[in-house]
Amino acid sequence: MSRGRVGLGALGVLLAAYGGWLLLSRQDSAGNLDAVLWLAGGVVVHDLLLAPAVLALCWVGARLLPPLARPAAAAGLVVLGSLTLLAVPFLGGFGRDNAPDNATLLDRDYTAGYLVLVALVLLGVVLPVLVVTVLRRRSGGQG
Amino acid sequence: MSARVGRWLGISFGICFLTGLVSHYAQNPSQPVPFPTSPAWGYRLTQGLHVTTGVAAIPLLLVKLWTVFPLLLRSLPAGAGARVREAGERASIAVLVASSLFLLTTGLLNSTQWYPWEFSFRRTHYALSWVAIGALLLHLAIKAPTIREALRRDVDDPALDRPAATEQGALGRRGLLRATWTASALAVLATAGSTVPWLRQVSVLGVRSGEGPGGVPVNRTARAAGVTETAVDPAYRLVVSSGGRSVSLGREDLLAMPQRTEELPIACVEGWSASAAWTGVRLRDLLDLVDAPAGSEVEVTSLQQRGAFARTLLQGNFADDDRTLVALALAGEPLDLDHGFPARLIAPNRPGVLQTKWLSRLEVLA
Repeated sequence: MSRGRVGLGALGVLLAAYGGWLLLSRQDSAGNLDAVLWLAGGVVVHDLLLAPAVLALCWVGARLLPPLARPAAAAGLVVLGSLTLLAVPFLGGFGRDNAPDNATLLDRDYTAGYLVLVALVLLGVVLPVLVVTVLRRRSGGQG
Repeated sequence: MSARVGRWLGISFGICFLTGLVSHYAQNPSQPVPFPTSPAWGYRLTQGLHVTTGVAAIPLLLVKLWTVFPLLLRSLPAGAGARVREAGERASIAVLVASSLFLLTTGLLNSTQWYPWEFSFRRTHYALSWVAIGALLLHLAIKAPTIREALRRDVDDPALDRPAATEQGALGRRGLLRATWTASALAVLATAGSTVPWLRQVSVLGVRSGEGPGGVPVNRTARAAGVTETAVDPAYRLVVSSGGRSVSLGREDLLAMPQRTEELPIACVEGWSASAAWTGVRLRDLLDLVDAPAGSEVEVTSLQQRGAFARTLLQGNFADDDRTLVALALAGEPLDLDHGFPARLIAPNRPGVLQTKWLSRLEVLA
């Protein structure tokens, strides 16, 4: 292993250790316990719920969808899946509970906005598939 | 594939880390090197970049994790030495993944003022950013040859694939990369309008529409701060003191002093920002009333009863800057109660939480 790589790795360990010390030394144990729960919780939710759900969707898609539609569906899953996760705190509007009298916080119609996003993505995903299908049928009919 | 998404994820994390350090330092009362007052839009830029880059990283992190997910289920290699190495690498990746998911999740939730946790957001987010950047450097050091090789080859070249990966995914690698970039770009467009005015119309997931009294959103309302009575009390006085000297000024007294108007942004740590025309008394003019020496630090106290920023420290270079005002009006109208009526601080290039509202005392520190 080159000297540069060892140095980079050692620097990484040092910075991470500093972060760990910062984490544990600057607040009470209840706060630290909650932080650790959130750290572990993120991994558990991702590895045991989210990732298997994505794999399951892919498995179902591969069996139900015609081969032509699969790439578009996979692209749609990547885009819509991540945008939906991003939209959760907006659609739920949970932050408003902390500041019920603040009319300027989360002051959009997020449901409508999210549905517009979904419609745009679906359009971008479905339209090319439809166009290709129609073109193939036409050339098939002529030939 | 994983290296290509990882490259942009790494760049995003680098930007988030550096802009986060800037924000943390700007909020630090003790600053060995004074935080600069110029450019006035500096903090607006760095904090907008911090939150926007974090949002862009959400799809990148998800795709990155999904592409390497099969490796998690891989069996351990034979031989004790190889097993220890493998376990060590997995432990470092577990730390990297846990801290990355933590930073992006808590950052996103915080930007919407949703705090379903007991820990201090600022301290924990800051501490874990060091953990994440350290674990990222270690990961880069371990993977350097693989990354270099993968980025040099064509994305479809199977030379570096897992032996078990024989089936081509439905989308293909180029398609998956395109979908990932699209997801990231849409996430940015959908949120950045809270800080980029010309994106306001398209940012359907912006935390703020940009509307509010005087065209500026509100972070903490007068009611939430517990000042609805004290702020409108006719007996209100702003006390300015330095050493033994002290003056006490009502809002009318402040309005009778020379008024200045400055175009300055309010830039919140949560990533939203808005620029506006503030009118009021230059802070330095007030400090001159009590003969405060140049470069003095000023302790700024608010009427507010709740919140961590009821008392803040204004560094000497901010106190002396000509653009720093005790603002009495916004966009030509008397200050709204939620914007800090009767008087608030507004200074250039300063985090929004330190732009103290509902001023009650300005105390020059010796």
